[in-house]
Amino acid sequence: MLSRLVFLSANSLRSSGLIGAGLVQASRSLQTSSQRLAPVPPLPEHGGKVRHGLIPEELFEFLYPKTGVTGPYMLGTGLIVYLLSKELYVINHETIYAICIGTIIVYGVKKYGATVAAFIDSINEEKVAKAQVAKDSHISFLTEAIENEKKEQWRVEGRGMLFDAKRNNVAMLLETNYRERQHMVTNEVKRRLDYQIALQHLNRRLQQEHMINWVEKNVISSITPQQEKESIAKCIADLKVLAKTTQAKAAA
Amino acid sequence: MSGRRAALKAIDWLAFAERVPSNQRVMFNALKTRTDAISAKLASLPETPPAIDWSYYRSAVAKAGLVDEFEKKFKALQIPEPVDTQTSKINAQEVEANKSALDFVEKSKVRVVEYEKELEKFKNMIPFDQMTIEDLNEAFPETKLDKVKYPYWPHKPIANL
Repeated sequence: MLSRLVFLSANSLRSSGLIGAGLVQASRSLQTSSQRLAPVPPLPEHGGKVRHGLIPEELFEFLYPKTGVTGPYMLGTGLIVYLLSKELYVINHETIYAICIGTIIVYGVKKYGATVAAFIDSINEEKVAKAQVAKDSHISFLTEAIENEKKEQWRVEGRGMLFDAKRNNVAMLLETNYRERQHMVTNEVKRRLDYQIALQHLNRRLQQEHMINWVEKNVISSITPQQEKESIAKCIADLKVLAKTTQAKAAA
Repeated sequence: MSGRRAALKAIDWLAFAERVPSNQRVMFNALKTRTDAISAKLASLPETPPAIDWSYYRSAVAKAGLVDEFEKKFKALQIPEPVDTQTSKINAQEVEANKSALDFVEKSKVRVVEYEKELEKFKNMIPFDQMTIEDLNEAFPETKLDKVKYPYWPHKPIANL
């Protein structure tokens, strides 16, 4: 009786993983084949409904059509009265113990039941959350890895561009070289021709200067001292005339 | 043989730059600067050298046949094209690179298949709060407790708790 009390009052706690797992293990052990059949349905969130923490609701539902709402209560009262009056249940000191301890237990469960259940659930929740986090991170890692592999494959497709660039470089270098050669040839030929022209000019100039010098030298050497005296006297006379005219001009 | 001007293939440097992985970026930058220098040098040279004004020289130079001789020889001159030694090497490199690239793509595809298999397995797993310990051991074999090696609870060395 007491053990049944404890067992059924535990139903008022939300079914924690321990007892629920036990139930599922019981039903799982019936699937004895090595291949699993359809996956086991998930655990129910709440236990079966009970009234007054002891009596399942199914009894009330069962008796309602025949006896209405008060039926099960009358049944219970009658049963208790019958047991007491016929002394099928004897009232002794253990009854007092049962009443006291029962009161305390019911009071304790009613007051602290929810918090204890929440605490135990949180312990389990932590474990599950950690596993969930690990699973999620692994999934995201895998998707990223797949992305990266696809990206690397796309990258590899561009390898032709590198070789195109290299070949372009080579072609450009060849072209540059060829043009440089052309330019060099043209420049050299031009230089040679310009050199000839410069040479001619130089010759011309030297000839002219030489001729001028030779003419001058001859003229100077041909001036006899007689002519020189005469020309100097004439210059002096001219200068005197000039001086007079300028003096006259300045005075006037 | 093939004409002097092997047509330069237009390279889209932006698309090229996108495909370069980060660990080869330095090499790519070096290549780009080299290419830019070469193309700048090419652009600075005019395509044909300026023509020589033969009539002016004919009138200016006094020596009789010099200009005519020069002109004849100049017009007959053939400038040899520079020989291309590198293109064959580049083509050989390209063939090798293609081969190793195909290898890499094959291996990469194998890896992708593996990853996808694992991803499927993870996605199709039942959620943790509907699992039992046996389901957990199936999905993650490393959580299975070796009850033969360690027959007493906690079935694993105390240090691993």
